[in-house]
Amino acid sequence: MTTIRPFTCEDMLHFNKVNLDPLTETYGLSFYTQYLAHWPEFFLVAESPSEEIMGYIMGKAEGHGENWHGHVTALTVSPDYRRLGIAATLMNILEEVSEKKKAYFVDLFVRVSNKVAINMYKNLGYIVYRTVLEYYSGDPDEDAYDMRKACSRDINKKSVVPLTHPVRPEDVD
Amino acid sequence: MAVRPQHMHDGGIVERRLRPIYDWLDNGNNKKALQEAEKVLKKSPSLQAAKALKALALYRLGKGPEAHALLDALAEEKPSDDSTLQAMTISYRESQQFHKVCALYEAAVKSEPTNEELYSHLFMSYVRVGDYRSQQRSAMALYKFAPKNPYYFWAVMSIVLQAKSTDDVTKKGILLSLAQRMVDNFITENKMEAEQEARLYIMILELQEKWNDILNFIEGPLYSQLVPRSTAQASIPYMKKLGHWRRLNLLCKDLLWDNQDRWDYYLPYFDSVFQLINNTEADSESGADDTAEKCHEFICQLVESMSSGRTLRGPYLARLELWKRLSVDGDPTALLGSGVALCIQYLRVFASKPCAVPDLKPYLAMIPQKEREDRCRDFLTCLGYDENSESESQDDIQRHISCLCAWRLTSPTCTADEYLDVAATLRRQYLRCVRQRLVAATTTEFCAADGYGILAAHHYFYAAVQQQNASPIVEALCLLELVLHKSPANFHAKVLLIALYHLLGNAVAAESVYRRLEAKHVQLVSLGWLHAARLAPALAPARALPLLADTHAFHRHHAKDSMEHLTYAYKYGTFEKLVELSAWGARLETCAWCALAARERALLALLAGPRAPLHAPPRLPAAPADNRDLNAIVSWDPPQCIDPELKSRTFELDVAYLRLKDALVSAIALCIECSDNRSAEEKGPQLEELQACIDAFGGAMDKCREKYGGKQRLSVSTPLPSRIIAFVGSSVPYRELYTCALRMTGALCGARAARGRERGVELRALLAASSRALPAPPAPPAAPWPLRDTLEAYANYLEFIGVVTFLLGVCNELTAPANTKKTKKKANQSPDQILTSELLSQLNDDVQDVIAYLEDVFEKWPTYDYSVSKLEDEMAKLDINDKYQCPVEQKLKNGLDEVLTDVKNILKKKSKYLKSLQ
Repeated sequence: MTTIRPFTCEDMLHFNKVNLDPLTETYGLSFYTQYLAHWPEFFLVAESPSEEIMGYIMGKAEGHGENWHGHVTALTVSPDYRRLGIAATLMNILEEVSEKKKAYFVDLFVRVSNKVAINMYKNLGYIVYRTVLEYYSGDPDEDAYDMRKACSRDINKKSVVPLTHPVRPEDVD
Repeated sequence: MAVRPQHMHDGGIVERRLRPIYDWLDNGNNKKALQEAEKVLKKSPSLQAAKALKALALYRLGKGPEAHALLDALAEEKPSDDSTLQAMTISYRESQQFHKVCALYEAAVKSEPTNEELYSHLFMSYVRVGDYRSQQRSAMALYKFAPKNPYYFWAVMSIVLQAKSTDDVTKKGILLSLAQRMVDNFITENKMEAEQEARLYIMILELQEKWNDILNFIEGPLYSQLVPRSTAQASIPYMKKLGHWRRLNLLCKDLLWDNQDRWDYYLPYFDSVFQLINNTEADSESGADDTAEKCHEFICQLVESMSSGRTLRGPYLARLELWKRLSVDGDPTALLGSGVALCIQYLRVFASKPCAVPDLKPYLAMIPQKEREDRCRDFLTCLGYDENSESESQDDIQRHISCLCAWRLTSPTCTADEYLDVAATLRRQYLRCVRQRLVAATTTEFCAADGYGILAAHHYFYAAVQQQNASPIVEALCLLELVLHKSPANFHAKVLLIALYHLLGNAVAAESVYRRLEAKHVQLVSLGWLHAARLAPALAPARALPLLADTHAFHRHHAKDSMEHLTYAYKYGTFEKLVELSAWGARLETCAWCALAARERALLALLAGPRAPLHAPPRLPAAPADNRDLNAIVSWDPPQCIDPELKSRTFELDVAYLRLKDALVSAIALCIECSDNRSAEEKGPQLEELQACIDAFGGAMDKCREKYGGKQRLSVSTPLPSRIIAFVGSSVPYRELYTCALRMTGALCGARAARGRERGVELRALLAASSRALPAPPAPPAAPWPLRDTLEAYANYLEFIGVVTFLLGVCNELTAPANTKKTKKKANQSPDQILTSELLSQLNDDVQDVIAYLEDVFEKWPTYDYSVSKLEDEMAKLDINDKYQCPVEQKLKNGLDEVLTDVKNILKKKSKYLKSLQ
């Protein structure tokens, strides 16, 4: 029971019940407005019939040549609307947008401890492409999985051959 | 923002010389940057980039006039190299002189008329000042020698913005048809190549209400080539506009077959069905659903078609939506059965999801109150539960909680004892889950059982409000602290704790939870009402100041940034976001809470801050914007208690309060401006302005007292009653006190000493009576319900003490400037001045007396017994091997002690300052 629509600036005033979740970061304003100005088609809200924000996805397209890909910057669903398939719906739409943009793959970073999210991404067809060491700063720093799913343009699925060695954050392009 | 341009062109000796200056500037070491720039200029005195960087370093070192002199001289040279222009742009931008950037680049493009980069900068400089016509001109000039699509559409967008900003209908029409023609030409020449260009075209047609043209464009080949696979969805709004109901109906049905959970397809589907029902022309051929029966049939098919996998809410809620729409002017029972039965059916399927009851809320409200209340227990029992059922799995607990919530939402209003019974039952349920280890929360995920605690807290609140008794609130706090302890991610518990601590007037305890909420950036605005706005009235001015400063910093930072976002939107060609981004910029710019925070900060600093110049706030916006998120706290009030006007009504009060505070701050700022040693004639206009400002404040106080004097109903999910109620309704005559103190200062500033003394005498009389009008502290021992109101009354009084103390300082400067030595003071004074000094000294004594009185009140403030909760006893009975100690009693006690200590310290300092004036 979802309305999918573009994220608008005003949504920032109403996303508290999503963003107060401890794993969801509230960024500075310009972070959101920059995404809105640059990649509006990658920034979507899932809204309930009572017009409450259930979750949102924020992404972009980047890279050159065969590295041209869709990237999921943030995906979050309010605790009150979990286990309804909303994250999957939002991911599907982002993948569709990436397909339209002729991306080779879609990728995302996730905390290695976030088992729920990792499982969900695996169910959606994502594989762990590589581990990025100490990607998340904190006490202690935490590693990230760089997870990927190939788009139809990558016919030979070259983009999703996992790396055998972990990389450092500075080596991630 | 980095100063160094992204592409340094010459790469040679100049770049090498400038590099260290850039490094210092980017590292924030402006002094070193200045030295380095001067060094470079010694070697090559005419190097423009070095001069520009020197100016920037000077500006950042606070040497504005010097920097601007240098910049002006440099601008005369009409520089055209990128490094120089960029550095100058940054200086102008940081000093908010955006127009000078335009002039700078106008001069530059004259010397290099085909430089693409310079022209784009020129265009962006006009974007920053919102000069749409010049935008259009520069974009077209740019396109002429660099024929690239983005430049062309910059020009088109600039025309659209001109059209949008004019009220002249004819002019608007001409501009829009010009914009359309420009794009039409492009389309004819097969030059349109981006999705955003297509969207801009639709925007132009929309502004002209050419719905048919839009639909044709969307359904044409170009659109589907530029925006593949989105034709169907994009055409929905325009089919609605054109009344193509039959087509719309069929389209939505198609979309719904593939997307059974998309509410944004159901709504236009229903719109079309209900239009077709009213349409007399029958057309059974088309297959469109033009009767309620067919619509119901379609929904049933959707329900049946769902595979065995995940059950989707969409088709089930669609049935409720059909019921709701049919019941507006008829009785849908024959077709769909009763509303209660449908809601219960929904609950049966989805009760294991936390969203089940929120989903149902709008539909429960549609059932007649009597029927709803008669059947309320059916919601509780529909899955075989009652209040005391002991669910044992996470899903079952959630189901039970959903049923409980639906029951409570539909129940009639109860007595306080009945609420307490429900609360106690829910608390028992929560504690049972604790004992049975069913509280399965982790540090990042909360768990179903938390719901028992949250719902219990709401019921304690209802009872407390009815009884005007703080004890149930303490019970709620104890339970919520336990919930939060077990489920540290549960922000529902956090926001509720903050609200309830504030309800008891305990700012420090609220702060302890607020910190754990980690609210930042835009949340300072949307949630500021929850905490930051409540610190000052809870007698915690010193704690309020840093939070108000954060809010103010956020606001200022945003104001600086917001123009840049517009330039991004042009850069990336996202034209549809341009209008949205500028509206957003304006909305934050005019934020009512930010405006109030700036004024509170100025006023509270007079009380609790170190003696410093007034933090003069930016101008009050003409129409302040409401940016509060009032949905942050979930409400379980039954539908008849929901006030649809709540947001606007509470906002009206907030704005009235903001205007009062604005008048006060403006008057104080004018007093300061008028306290210099210019002659009374020279100060004339400002003194008049001050007079008008004081009059306006007095008039507004009278009006507000009439309008907002009444009490306000408390609700757990809404802001506490506006501060204006206590301020204008107080028995302390604030209107007279403030106006008198300000008029006295004004008269002394205007060299009208006798008049000033008259006001002073009046003020003395008012002051003597005022402190007696304050309420006595609530009597111990029980946790007091009226404590919040009492503290607010004292907070308002203390604010006045802060202001009057400050004004006495100003008056004192006027009659006996600090630089004349004390011994000489008397000798140099005229008899008239001596009279004034004496009066000020008496007034000073009076204020000190009041302070002494207040110190005594705070010293003797009673301590209260907050150990009312039975939670720990109950936990002990449960035999839980858990060393949890409930922090509420200590938090409440220490919280009050701490604010009283803070306030006593503040008063001591004020007293000391006043003595220093004598």
